[in-house]
Amino acid sequence: MPALAVEQVNQIFGQGTARVQVLHDVNFAAEAGQLTLIVGPSGSGKTTLLTIAGGLLTPTSGQVQVAGESYQQRSPKEKEQLRLNQIGFVLQAYHLLPYLTVADQFKLVDRIRPQGNLAPAALTQLLTELGIAELLNKFPNELSGGQQQRVAIARALYPDPEIVLADEPTAALDRPRVQVVGQMLHDLAHNRKKAIVVVTHDERLLGFADAVYKMEDGRLTQTK
Amino acid sequence: MFLAIKEIRKEKLRSSLIVAMIVLISYLIFILTSLALGLAQQNTDAIDSWHVKTVVLNANANVDMRQSLLTTDQVGALPKDAAVVGQASVAVKAKGHEQVSATFLGLKASQFIAKNLTVTSGRKPTKASEVLADDSLKLKGYKLGSTITLNGLAKHYTIVGFTSGAKMNIAPVLYGTMSAWQTLKGGMPNLTASAVVAQSATFKLGTSGTKAYSTAAFIQKLPGYSAQNMTFELMIGFLMVISLIIIAVFMYILTMQKLPNYAVLRVQGVPSRVLVQATLAQSLLLVAAGLVGGTVLLVLTAVAMPAVVPMAFSVPLLSAVGVGLLAMGLIGGLIPVRRVVKVDPLTVIGG
Repeated sequence: MPALAVEQVNQIFGQGTARVQVLHDVNFAAEAGQLTLIVGPSGSGKTTLLTIAGGLLTPTSGQVQVAGESYQQRSPKEKEQLRLNQIGFVLQAYHLLPYLTVADQFKLVDRIRPQGNLAPAALTQLLTELGIAELLNKFPNELSGGQQQRVAIARALYPDPEIVLADEPTAALDRPRVQVVGQMLHDLAHNRKKAIVVVTHDERLLGFADAVYKMEDGRLTQTK
Repeated sequence: MFLAIKEIRKEKLRSSLIVAMIVLISYLIFILTSLALGLAQQNTDAIDSWHVKTVVLNANANVDMRQSLLTTDQVGALPKDAAVVGQASVAVKAKGHEQVSATFLGLKASQFIAKNLTVTSGRKPTKASEVLADDSLKLKGYKLGSTITLNGLAKHYTIVGFTSGAKMNIAPVLYGTMSAWQTLKGGMPNLTASAVVAQSATFKLGTSGTKAYSTAAFIQKLPGYSAQNMTFELMIGFLMVISLIIIAVFMYILTMQKLPNYAVLRVQGVPSRVLVQATLAQSLLLVAAGLVGGTVLLVLTAVAMPAVVPMAFSVPLLSAVGVGLLAMGLIGGLIPVRRVVKVDPLTVIGG
């Protein structure tokens, strides 16, 4: 059973002359232990698919299953719990809370979700792998873009989610840093058995992916 | 609370400015409250010290002791818990001293008011030429043994004692004998007192031309008393509303600036309850810090304030004002809560 399955999803925005169909019969599955890439140009529907996959947007038709259960069977509160416990998000603009140090970003998770987070030793190992173990007392405005992105990734992984959804995680990174983040996402999927889904138009990540889908005009096709 | 404390600590300048604003507002409200209380007390200190529940006046005196005169027939024989009071407005003058407007209150030494008077120095008057003065006259240079004249009349009086908290209509009180009061009133025949006061709530003289009032009703009718209190209450009320608006505006702006952060937390499954709690906690912490600052300033003011300024500090009353300001902070913090609850996680995910 895939960790995340998107089945026959259509998404339509607007009505009448303003009606736009953003997604057309999209099918896609993300397996645990794999890094799945969804590539495509801006405006092709990648992010819409990501928000539907994360339970933030209800599709016009079709369904999304997480661990075999459809979002349609879950209440908004249950979807919220699912995002808190089983899905980690990495967003394009990092969006770390500006008044929390790196350490406090994790303490906040502890306060909201006291159990089930990575043990201190595992967190230290993760931070070391990401090369940010020395930055615990820094505020986001004291970090570079790449460092912030890696903190955001660590923050998403800290609750030990089964699924990680990443939106353009390398958008602001230079080539060497893209290689680092790509390798890191690949290793996280393989070593920690996570289903990692990355939507991106950055083709430099292709070499790290286990599965690649191409999104064009709302239609998804698997290329790898 | 965690988010609120962290944000306040990180954004020191912004938080300090808000706290400074609340310090000034709370200080102003505290000062006005203390001033209102002080002035109110200076209207009623003397009456309060008698612990009476009923005041009987001439029915045509418009509930004003200064204008009330009772005859011997109207007063008659009084029970033990009732006493006569003769009131006269006087200008106190003594050689080398500033002239002071005061209220002369004539008492009968055998009745409970005179018996219960507390003397801070000297003794109670026993002769028609002796008076017991409020402590505030000391600030004007009067002392034990000072010889004074009242209203420029030839008769001289000697201050034989001082008492504290003896004020009526914001003027210091001179307690004397009933015969001294009768002299001040021109020795009108058959005149017994201005009023009869009693410790019983049901006391009445029952004679024609007299009317009994509760002490509370009598105090409300003191000249300027109600108007003065209402003025202060209105000012304090307006300041409360202003503080509510200021807190609400600041909290709204702060919250609007944080909405993208809150949207990210919503994406990550953080319940809106946590974000609402953070907003309210931040508001309460800022107001509480402002109240602490306002209280410190108030204490310093109380220490430095000259005794002539009519201020009184009541911890329960000031605490109630503080709780009121905290409530304003809570309400002010609630205003942006709707935006927090409605924050759309999709706004932070690119298209």
